[in-house]
Amino acid sequence: MPEPEEQDFLLRASQGDQEAFGILYETYVERIYNYVYYRTGNIHDAEDLTAHVFFRAMHHIPTYTDRGVPFSAWLYRIAHNLIANWHRDRSRHQEIPLSDAPTLHYKGEPPETALEQTQERDALLRLIRHLPAERQHLLILKFVEHMSNSEIGETMDRSEGAVKSLYHRTLLSLRDELEELDPGE
Amino acid sequence: MGSKMKRISDASRGKIASMEHRLSGALRPIQPRKEFVHGIAQRIRTTPRVAFVDRIASWHIIAILIAVLVSLTVFLAVLGRALLSLVDKKRTART
Repeated sequence: MPEPEEQDFLLRASQGDQEAFGILYETYVERIYNYVYYRTGNIHDAEDLTAHVFFRAMHHIPTYTDRGVPFSAWLYRIAHNLIANWHRDRSRHQEIPLSDAPTLHYKGEPPETALEQTQERDALLRLIRHLPAERQHLLILKFVEHMSNSEIGETMDRSEGAVKSLYHRTLLSLRDELEELDPGE
Repeated sequence: MGSKMKRISDASRGKIASMEHRLSGALRPIQPRKEFVHGIAQRIRTTPRVAFVDRIASWHIIAILIAVLVSLTVFLAVLGRALLSLVDKKRTART
């Protein structure tokens, strides 16, 4: 959605126009859902928390002030706070059940290879979920949203250089943790 | 020294490239269920939000009214005490 158009919807939504908020919801629901899904690891909580994010946003939009950062940053902030509460409320939160994980098709590969790849992917996702919140956010924006470093910087309120440096540190530390898990690699 | 640095930098670049490859396989956009998306959209459009906004506005007015009432009570109490002490002073001066 172009920025001036979004500003218009934001203004109307903050004045109580539910249709305008509905359009903002449709624009951002997938992004927030993906963020919550990869932070929680299961579809049920992703749906529940995504719904909460938008209802909270709807109730607080009359007090929303444009600070020059994208509207998505405000939504991600709400999502982040709700996920932090969710983690606090659960001492033992669920891991991704295999049936919940998005199905990836490995055409022409034997089932053992596909299973191995799925296990490898699950292990990596578990490692990602143990990273600090901002590193998880960065990886989601980079690989799920395919954002550039400057777009990520705008969303996370950081400079492009800081994003680049955090990205490299995150990847190297993930690589080290994977090597610790499986030194044979 | 220079070649050692280059080797380290190449190794780190290799590590990053291999991690990027793995991450792009693991982190893929997920489509939320259509029923979920439509259900929430419908709730957003039908929730009486205008009433909520109005309620926020009326909360503000109520809060201001309470503040004015409390301030007025405190002011009257202080004024009353001041008048009483004045009357007392006059009485003691007469006696």
